[in-house]
Amino acid sequence: MNTGTTAVADATTDATADVTTDVAERVAHLERRFGDPRDPGNPLGFRALLAAEERQELLAEAEGLLTDEGFGAELVPAALGGRLTRADTLARVLRPVFRRDVALGFGHGITSLFAASAVWVAGSPEQQRSLARLLCGGGRATIVHHSLAHGSGLLRGEVGAERTADGFSLTGRKDMVINAHRAEALVVYARNLPSTPGAGSHSVLLVDPDRLPPGRMEALPRKLTTGMRGCHFGGYAFHDCAVGPEALVGSYGEGVRLALRTFQLNRSLIPAAVIASVDTVLRTAVAAALAGRPGGPEGRHRPLLAGVFADLLAADAMATTALRALHLVPDGAHLAAAEVKYLVPDLLRDDLEELATVLGASGYHGGDGDGDRGALSKLLRDLPAAGLGHAGTAACQAVVIPQLPLLARRSWFRAAEPPDAVFRPGADLPELDLAALGLAGGDDLLAAGLAATATRIRDSAVPGDAQATLKGYADAFVRELWALHDRCRELEVGDRAALSNPEMCALADRHALISAAGAVLATWERLATGPAGDACGAHGGVGVPGAGGAGGAGGFLADPSWAVLALQRLGGRLGLALPAPPTGCVDRVLHEVVERFRAGSAYDLYAAPLAEGGGT
Amino acid sequence: MNGRLARDTERTAWAADRTTLAEPISMPGIEGPWSKVRQSVSWTGHAVVHAYWQEWLPAALADPELRNLLGSRDWQRFSGLSDPEARSRFAASRLMVRYAAGAALHVPPDSVELAYKPGGRPYLRGCDQVDVSLSHTKDLMVVGLNRRGRIGVDTELADRRIQYASVERQLCTPAERELLAELPEPARERELLRIWTLKEAYTKALGQGMRLGFNQFGFGSDGTSLLTPDGRQASRGEWSFGTFWLPDRYLVSVACQDSGAESDGDTSVDTMLDEGFLGEVVDLLSRSENKGQ
Repeated sequence: MNTGTTAVADATTDATADVTTDVAERVAHLERRFGDPRDPGNPLGFRALLAAEERQELLAEAEGLLTDEGFGAELVPAALGGRLTRADTLARVLRPVFRRDVALGFGHGITSLFAASAVWVAGSPEQQRSLARLLCGGGRATIVHHSLAHGSGLLRGEVGAERTADGFSLTGRKDMVINAHRAEALVVYARNLPSTPGAGSHSVLLVDPDRLPPGRMEALPRKLTTGMRGCHFGGYAFHDCAVGPEALVGSYGEGVRLALRTFQLNRSLIPAAVIASVDTVLRTAVAAALAGRPGGPEGRHRPLLAGVFADLLAADAMATTALRALHLVPDGAHLAAAEVKYLVPDLLRDDLEELATVLGASGYHGGDGDGDRGALSKLLRDLPAAGLGHAGTAACQAVVIPQLPLLARRSWFRAAEPPDAVFRPGADLPELDLAALGLAGGDDLLAAGLAATATRIRDSAVPGDAQATLKGYADAFVRELWALHDRCRELEVGDRAALSNPEMCALADRHALISAAGAVLATWERLATGPAGDACGAHGGVGVPGAGGAGGAGGFLADPSWAVLALQRLGGRLGLALPAPPTGCVDRVLHEVVERFRAGSAYDLYAAPLAEGGGT
Repeated sequence: MNGRLARDTERTAWAADRTTLAEPISMPGIEGPWSKVRQSVSWTGHAVVHAYWQEWLPAALADPELRNLLGSRDWQRFSGLSDPEARSRFAASRLMVRYAAGAALHVPPDSVELAYKPGGRPYLRGCDQVDVSLSHTKDLMVVGLNRRGRIGVDTELADRRIQYASVERQLCTPAERELLAELPEPARERELLRIWTLKEAYTKALGQGMRLGFNQFGFGSDGTSLLTPDGRQASRGEWSFGTFWLPDRYLVSVACQDSGAESDGDTSVDTMLDEGFLGEVVDLLSRSENKGQ
């Protein structure tokens, strides 16, 4: 992998192009190595992946390829010898994996990063070095979560840590831990026993399972799951198990704060990666809608396919903004990250159910050389198991809800717009520094983006129907933000008892939808006007008619059509009575859907060339 | 009354359904018994509630907050209905959804916001721990609640007659047509009614209504398993189905998903915000607030 990227990097002197060309090449390289997933003879294709799922295992050949590619190094900060410098590029590198199999993405996989991130933030140099060595060498770390409210089976149970003269003693069990059978490092979020007033409730411990006193850690049997059936969920039971003081990551009692800090990365990264999984289903649906219709999709399939693509772009705009905010607005990214995790999975699940109506019976089954056809029902099973269900929601709401009264008083319609580059997919970024992330407070960058962009659009000259419609939609969302502002100003700050009620949950839901609209509008504006990064395939190198073009001028993403459809759909969820989008918008987006299908390029902001694209 | 007798005989035959779903609960008014709903949701993951809208109407009409209760979208729809019976049924059914949701979430009914996805699926805004579905026909209203995944309910008059020949191709898969072809006429019509309402329930659970072609998926002969048009298993047990013949002239079909992310059974709103996260965020905010003053 390095040879190819070095050659490309040498060809340019511009630092931005350097990073972004590099990632585009890494993505293209992974695509080439995985090969066309629809080819029934491809040992790494959908057919083989689904067959492995039948056997309740991850596809060994696919795992072998990722190990061979040094996938683990993607999860290790560059300063520690890995390739992790940017959150947004990591999401792009994950997409070739996630569009083939969510379970492979998690199980191979990305969960090592979720475990390791606490160590990257607060671990000792020795802890960091040893974990970096493990992951770069193809080993795995796993995370033993603390118990979360309304937790699913995945999150139930908790390990307690009692302080002793020689470190800690662990007791308790966690039943569902991914990769428990093969993880060579455990990052345990343990409850402090006894609880110490004033200190935090939990501490993080880095544990090497091979160096524990014999008989004190019991491996629990595998539990089969409905979703991500290929992943191995085992568990651990600790019985008064001694670990040394050097196991502590960060300070005693720092656990919840470390979780709040590092979860920001997971929360924006997982939804960003899963967009690619839905890409697969959209692609299959487009194939079905095109079959026997040389003139393109017909009837209700037209707005449906265009609408789902607009949702994917909206989800990518929101996730990409949050990922970039981790770098550029570290004190305010927590809010955007929580809203991405709250909204994007829900949006995608609804999209899958819509696509089910296009796929009909072919959505259910694989085999017979049509392995991609089982993708829909598999994904509908996999997503809840990927922690994208209610417990994820509740954890995000716990972060958002207490901030709403304060945001109404201090941030909405007051805060300055975040740095321009937050909304420019692909543009240059400083290196990721998870330790710099704030946990609460700060400004609402998506709301600020919404208000500022809407004002500029309102004042701009209006060429065309689509932009006039966009103006109207943008104003409707701004009015919605005012309504939220007025209601949240009436609420007491810090009144904990008043926070846990359905009205607050509904307000947080509205806030998430308004945030998404902010991301869409601000991202579209940047793509339509300024110099772009490598969004829409500028560096991708495939001819995607209407989709490419550096600078975005004249390209598909610079056209307001996708933003119009995306806002209209978000507005529908808010219950806004928005006028229907001009049919030209549906036509324009649908045209792009079909073009990208034919060219084999991704349904996201980057239009990366895919293995089935032929020329790659 | 041959028809009546025939129906009774067949009902016994159909009672052999091996559904794992909970029996629908009769709910004659706002007073409850809501504890049954809470219990059903907590134990089985779901609950199906039914009532006659006439029983709920006085409560709906007496509510001075009807406009607030309905919310802007439902109020618009309500105001747009000219038929007095349709209006009454609409108001009563929305009231019942809120009461049922309130019971499942352990909150007052008027604090729940009923919203709609673009495809029309109702949901409880901000409270995704419970999925809802609503159906009504003639006098009966039915509400489904599920904490383990999607739910769809559909109700019909049990003696509704459908011309098999005119709808079989639209409503049934080849495998189903084969099964139905072997049945004598009255049984065939009733079986068709069951298949049809199950399909309504399943597509409502997916939020798609009639947009999902009814001949694109089917049910086995006992009406509890989802099959592909050629009769193969189409799910891995994450969906349960059932049809219930109520003691009067209605039947209710239910499609209920268990996504496998088994929760601890707690759907209450006041425990949903994670204490650890919430506490830490509130503390951090109050510290920054104090600093700011």
